[in-house]
Amino acid sequence: MTNKFGELLPEFSKHFVLILGALIVLLPFYVMLSYSFKSPREIETNTGGFFGKQEQMVNEYCVKLGNERSDCMETPIVFNYTQAFEKAPLLRYLLNGVFVTVSIFLIQILVALPCAYALSKLRFWGREIVFGMVIFCLLIPVHAIALPIYIMLAKVGLTNTYSALIIPWTISVFGIFLMRQFFKTVPDDLIDAARMDGMTELAIVWRVMLPTAIPALMAFAIFSVVSHWNDYFWPRIAVTGDRDLYTPPLGLREFKGDADGSNWGPMMASATVIVTPLIVAFLLAQKKFVEGITLSGMK
Amino acid sequence: MSDHRTNVSYWFIAPAVILMIVILIAPIVIAATLSFTDYSLGNGKFEWVGWENYSKMVSRSTYKKMINATLTYVLVVVPVSVLLGLGIALLINSVKRFGDVYKTIYFLPVMAALLAMAIVWEFTLHPTIGIVNKTLTNGCGTWVETLFSWHWLPWVSQDHFSWYQQGCEDSFPLWFGNRDYAIYTICFIGIWQTVGFNMVLYLAGLTSVPRELYQAAEMDGASSSWDKFWLVTLPMLGPTTVFVVTITTIRSFQVFDTVEAITKGGPAKSTYVMMYAVYEKAVQQNLIGMGAAITVVFLLFIFALTLTQRYLVEKRTHYS
Repeated sequence: MTNKFGELLPEFSKHFVLILGALIVLLPFYVMLSYSFKSPREIETNTGGFFGKQEQMVNEYCVKLGNERSDCMETPIVFNYTQAFEKAPLLRYLLNGVFVTVSIFLIQILVALPCAYALSKLRFWGREIVFGMVIFCLLIPVHAIALPIYIMLAKVGLTNTYSALIIPWTISVFGIFLMRQFFKTVPDDLIDAARMDGMTELAIVWRVMLPTAIPALMAFAIFSVVSHWNDYFWPRIAVTGDRDLYTPPLGLREFKGDADGSNWGPMMASATVIVTPLIVAFLLAQKKFVEGITLSGMK
Repeated sequence: MSDHRTNVSYWFIAPAVILMIVILIAPIVIAATLSFTDYSLGNGKFEWVGWENYSKMVSRSTYKKMINATLTYVLVVVPVSVLLGLGIALLINSVKRFGDVYKTIYFLPVMAALLAMAIVWEFTLHPTIGIVNKTLTNGCGTWVETLFSWHWLPWVSQDHFSWYQQGCEDSFPLWFGNRDYAIYTICFIGIWQTVGFNMVLYLAGLTSVPRELYQAAEMDGASSSWDKFWLVTLPMLGPTTVFVVTITTIRSFQVFDTVEAITKGGPAKSTYVMMYAVYEKAVQQNLIGMGAAITVVFLLFIFALTLTQRYLVEKRTHYS
């Protein structure tokens, strides 16, 4: 009896500690989701539980546009989410985010794969120098190059363009390093066989090497997309005035900038919309995501 | 054939090499050069000012506060999030059930856009309508206050006025609006976001500890799990720890989103961290020279760290 108790107690206390920690971790997610459902009144008085009572409320903006009060009744959840998409062009921000992250990833791959192939499978003078350069560049944190790149882009008049959001990320030395390590494990016979079949070197990169590297590439894709979807530092510097170019975090920040007291609901709705895609993707493919994110170890 | 392949090689590496030079190496040279000038955008002429930008960093109180805020952030976030990451990984590794569920939950903050979560935290910790202070205030005058008065502890005197009682008497902290709390509240968000990342790295490290080592330790008389932890687990996690500490430190030096969105470096420059200073000086105030100097100092910190890490890894140092 005592023995069994002794076994159970630590297990219980472990779960107790873990659950306590989990509650703190989940608290802001709870707040974000819950307040995106509630009316301003419920938010201010901290009532209504998780979903709020969803009583009809008057949309003041709708009234200001000259509509009858009775025509402007909405439930808080509808109000918050429609405001999020109407008051700020959230859809545009999301599309910008998709466009920028996808472009970055594709260009990174386009640049990194041939280079990684040459570094791992081809012999040429200067190979070690180039690899040394890659290793050195791994040391450079992106935050350190932000300012000089901003100046360079300003000099050529490229700030406030999509290019400004994409250019600094076109080279991923981490991607080159990762792919080179991976390609080294691909047997030479495979490449020789492809050459026998008359494939060009370029065809070998895309039709032989790329397919073998799919798992590593997936992990890298997740790493790249997550970090650029969530990035705020660079977009903040590169895009100053033009709202049409805003990525989701910039858009949300802008929303906060002109938020008055009653706007918390719509703002939390925007935050939810911005955070949800990656969270859902993560929940669906946890293992892949953990692999991809922890890849950033080299950075 | 071989000649052809050599040519192809140069075509393959050319884009990467050019981009590395233009986007990574040149900017560092540019930053270093500009840090000795008073350059500003839109102003054709500039003067060489020697070490002036750097000497400002030691003499001006703004920059002393900057270094202070940055180091406080790093020195709080790194040890706390590394130890918590390790602790949670060990707990998750040892529970019989639901380990995966906890892992998923703790990893969520890593996935969420920090800027969005910063705004949510600001709201959560809002002094009047935030859920944290509301809950704390609701506890006043109830058993919660009695509990956190700590008077039930035999060694706490009845006259002791605890932090919680103080809060009930006056008001609970403004968190981001109070210069004594602001940087630590920013640290808290940093820890909240980093713990899951460190936990995952430690979980990976734990799976690579060979089981035989535990058996060997048992044969040598290590009976309690505590002994086994000190003799086997911790030393085997040495390489992971070097890695986790380095990456957490580098990330902590880069803190920006939370500060820009919530405190803007205030109150009284108590959260004026380096990356925010670069942004404010160089981008907002167009003092490029100063921004470049801060960038260079930041870079030196990072280089020193990364080189230390590589040195430790090469020596295969075990943390024991």
